[in-house]
Amino acid sequence: MPKGKLLARTSEFLTATGLGFDDYNSKTRIYRMQSQTLPALTAKMLNERDIPVQVAIGNYDFGICTSDWLQELQARYPASRVLKIADLSYDLSSIYLACSEASNISPQDISGRPAAWRIVTEYPALAEATACKMRLKRFRIFPCWGSTEAYPPENADLCVLRVRDEKALRSLNLKPLSKICDSNACIIANSDSIQDNDFSSLLKRFALSQKMKDKPWQVPEKALAAISNDFIARAPADNIWLALADGHQQIHTAAFLEKTGIKLVGYAKDNMQRRPSSSLAGVNIKVIRPQDMPQQVANGNFDLAVTGKDWLLDHLYQFPSSPVTELADLGFGRVRIVAVVSEEVPADSIDSIRELISRGKMAPLRIATEYVNIADKYLRDRHIARYRVIPTWGATEVYLPEDADMLIENTETGQTLARHKLKIIDTLFESTACLIGNRRSLELPFKKAKIERLVKIFREAAGKK
Amino acid sequence: MESQRCKGARDLLPEDMQRFRQVEDTFRNSCINWGYREIKTPTLEYIHLFTASGTLTPAMLGRVYSFLDWDGWGGERVVLRPDGTIPAARLYSENLAGQKIARLYYITNVFAFEETGKENREKWQCGVELLGDCDRTSDAELISLALEVLKSLGIAKAELKLSHAGILKALIGELKLSAATRDALLDEILEGNWQALTGINNSNKAVAGAISTLMNLKGKSSGFLANLKALPSISLNVKKEIGRFAAITELLDTLGCRYAIDFTSIRGFEYYTGLCFKVIANGKKICSGGRYDNLVSLVGGADIPACGFAFYLDETCAMVKPWSRQKAEKTVLIKTAKKSAPFIATAFQIAGALRQAGLIAELDFCGSQLEARWSVTVLDRAQAFIVKDMAKGTQNKVTTVNEVIGIMGGFGKIGK
Repeated sequence: MPKGKLLARTSEFLTATGLGFDDYNSKTRIYRMQSQTLPALTAKMLNERDIPVQVAIGNYDFGICTSDWLQELQARYPASRVLKIADLSYDLSSIYLACSEASNISPQDISGRPAAWRIVTEYPALAEATACKMRLKRFRIFPCWGSTEAYPPENADLCVLRVRDEKALRSLNLKPLSKICDSNACIIANSDSIQDNDFSSLLKRFALSQKMKDKPWQVPEKALAAISNDFIARAPADNIWLALADGHQQIHTAAFLEKTGIKLVGYAKDNMQRRPSSSLAGVNIKVIRPQDMPQQVANGNFDLAVTGKDWLLDHLYQFPSSPVTELADLGFGRVRIVAVVSEEVPADSIDSIRELISRGKMAPLRIATEYVNIADKYLRDRHIARYRVIPTWGATEVYLPEDADMLIENTETGQTLARHKLKIIDTLFESTACLIGNRRSLELPFKKAKIERLVKIFREAAGKK
Repeated sequence: MESQRCKGARDLLPEDMQRFRQVEDTFRNSCINWGYREIKTPTLEYIHLFTASGTLTPAMLGRVYSFLDWDGWGGERVVLRPDGTIPAARLYSENLAGQKIARLYYITNVFAFEETGKENREKWQCGVELLGDCDRTSDAELISLALEVLKSLGIAKAELKLSHAGILKALIGELKLSAATRDALLDEILEGNWQALTGINNSNKAVAGAISTLMNLKGKSSGFLANLKALPSISLNVKKEIGRFAAITELLDTLGCRYAIDFTSIRGFEYYTGLCFKVIANGKKICSGGRYDNLVSLVGGADIPACGFAFYLDETCAMVKPWSRQKAEKTVLIKTAKKSAPFIATAFQIAGALRQAGLIAELDFCGSQLEARWSVTVLDRAQAFIVKDMAKGTQNKVTTVNEVIGIMGGFGKIGK
C-alpha cells in the first residue's frame, strides 16, 4: 500500500472493499497492517515508487500504486514478473516530454537537430525509450529525485515529467512536445504468484468495490498549489548558478542563509519560487532536490550548491573522476550514516555478519538503501561475499526483516530505528550540510572571483555560533 | 554444483574453439586473398554512435548493454558493442577517410540482451566492410566473397536471398504517412512484421496493390525485376530503385550466381539503403549484409558509399565438419623415469627439439590430455631414451635426440 499523496484515496478505496485495514489512514505511524477480514492478508506501507519493484521481485503478491512507476519498471526490465490487474481510476495524470515555454523547440527539432539534448527526469527508462523511439541522435539523461520542472530552460533542454493534464503542464511554464503515456492508480500483482495461488477471496472484494455506484476515491481532487516556476530571462552568461534545497532541508538552509546576511525573496515556506531572487549581484539561484545537486554541479549546470555530504559522497563513489568538490562545511543538518539490521540478527558488527555469511548461517545479504553507491562501496570494501543492493525511495525502515537484511540509512537520534526494532551495527560516517562546487568553474576567470566571494561568505557564516 | 556462469553467457570448450578457429581461419584466408585488411574496434563505445538516427532500431537499442562509466557524470552512457558495422564505420571515418577504397575485415564479439537467457547474449561475427567509391561491382564482390567462404567451409546447401532496402523505403514513401505513423510502421517491419504494411489504412489503391505484389512474389532472375518494373501500378520512384536492384542482379546472372529474390527476407534494415542479402543454411541465417551508403555520414564522417556483410560464428560453427581433430600422428608425450631436476631438464630439452622438428610435445610428468601416437621416456640424467610407438606397439632405446626424431620421421608423416 502506498504512503504519501496516494494514501487518502487508497484508504477510501480499501474501506469500500471491507478488508478492514483500519490503521491505514493519513495519521498512521504503523507501517505493518493486518486485515480484520481475511486473516491470511497482511500489508505494508511503502513509497509508491518502490511498490512495482517489490511486487516484481516477489516480496509481495499485490500492490497498489500509480501505473507510471509500473511503466518505468517495464521500460527498464521488460521481463519483470509484474502485471496490472485493475485500474482504480484516481490520480489521473499523464507523462509528457516537454520543454520550457521560453525555449524555441519543436517536436521536429528534437529528432532533426544533432544537438546533445539534456533530459532531466524522474523516469530515466521511459525517457530513454522515448528518445530512442523519436530517434534523437544524441542525448544525455539526468535522473532526478524530483522538482523536474525547475530545470528547463537554463539547466536542461527537455524534461520528462508527470502532470495532471496539459493545463497543469502549461501552468509550470512548460510546453508539451509529446505525450508519452497516461497514468492512474491501479492494482498490480506478481505474475508468478497469481498463477500459482488462489486469491479469489481477495480479488472478489476488489471487484465488488469496483462495481459500487458511488466511488468517493474517484472524485477529482483539488490541485495543490505548486511552487511558482516563472521563468525570468535575466541570466547574463557570466552569472554564476547556485542551487538550494527544497523539501525538508529548506527550513535549515533558509536559517543558515539568514546568518550569511544574504537576503532572499521566494525561499520561504509560505512563498516558494523555483527561482528566488537575492541581494547577491551576479548570482542566479534555483531550488532543486539536494540528492540531484552533485551531478548537476558536475555537469556545470550549477556552479555551487548547498547539499549534504552524504549525497556528495554517493556521487563521488559512483563517479570518482567527477569535478565536484566540497568547498565549505556548513555544520548544520548533522546525521550519521549507519548500517542497520533487525534486533533479531545475532551479530553486532559487520565483521560478525561476514562471519555468519561465510559459515553459511546467513543467506546472501539484501541491502535496502537510498544511498546505492555508498552501500555498494561499503559492502565491497568489507569483503561481503555476495550481496544485492535494493534501491529505495525512502521509508527504508519498513523493509526489515522480510524484504531486506540490512539498511544503509541516515539517522539523527536513532529513535526511529529503535521504534522499528532495529539496531545499528556500524557508523559509516557523519554527514553535515556542505557547499559544493565544480573545480572547473573555479578555473574560469569570469567566475572565479564571484565563486570565491560566495565561498568566503558561507565559510564565515558557518563559523558563527 | 550450481553454475557461477552469468545467465546468457557461454564457455567455449576446446572442441568448440577448434570449430571456431576453423571458421575464423577460413574467413581470414579468403579476406586476405581478396585484399582485405584486419581491424579491431574497442568493446566500449558511446551510445550516441548507435542512437544517431537510422543506425539501430529502437527495439535493438532496448536490448543493448548500456551503463554509466566511472566518468559518466556527464550523463552519457557507454555500450558494449551491439553491432560490428557501426564501429567499423566510425573507425574508417576517423582514421582512414583519406583512402579512396578501404577493404576491411574483423572478427568481433557483439552483445545484446535476450530475455530467457537460453540464447547467447554475447555472439561472435566475422565481418567485412568495403568503403569508398564503390558501385554495383562491390555488391557483387561481397556476394562472391561470402559464397567463397561458404564453399571453403564445406556448407553445401546454402541459399542466397536478395532484397532491396531502397525499394522498400521508396514504397513506404509512397504511402505519404505522417512522421510518427511512418516511424511506427518502420519499427514493425524492422521486427519482421510485414503484415503491418498491408494493414495501413491507405486510400491509394495503386500503392496498396504494388505492396502486396512485391510482398507475395518471389523471383530467381533479373527477368523477374524487369517484369515488376513493367507493372502499371509501380510508381516512378519505385521503378528507379528496381532499376538499381536489377543492375546488380544482371551482374550476378552473368557471374553465374544463383539467388532468390524475396522482398520480405530482410530485417533490421534501418541503416541499409540498397541491396540486402542473407544466406540461409539448414533453416538458419548464417550470413547477412548489404549496402549502407548513409552510414559513414551518420556516424559523423563524409558522404561515402559503403557495403559489407557478416558471418554469424555461433550458427556457422555448428554447421562445419571439424577438420581432423588433434593430430595424434604428430603428438609425443614426454615422460621421465625420475622427477629430479636433471631428468626434467633433459625432458624439457628433448621436448623443445621435437617441437622444432614440427611435432606436438606434451609434458607428461603428472598426466596428459592429448591423444598421442608416441611417447619418449627420459631414462637417465645423461641422454638415454625409450621411444614407444603406440600405433605399432613397438619400442626402441636410443641415445640422441636425432635418433628420436629419426624414428618418428621414419614414418614419413612428420614435418611442418
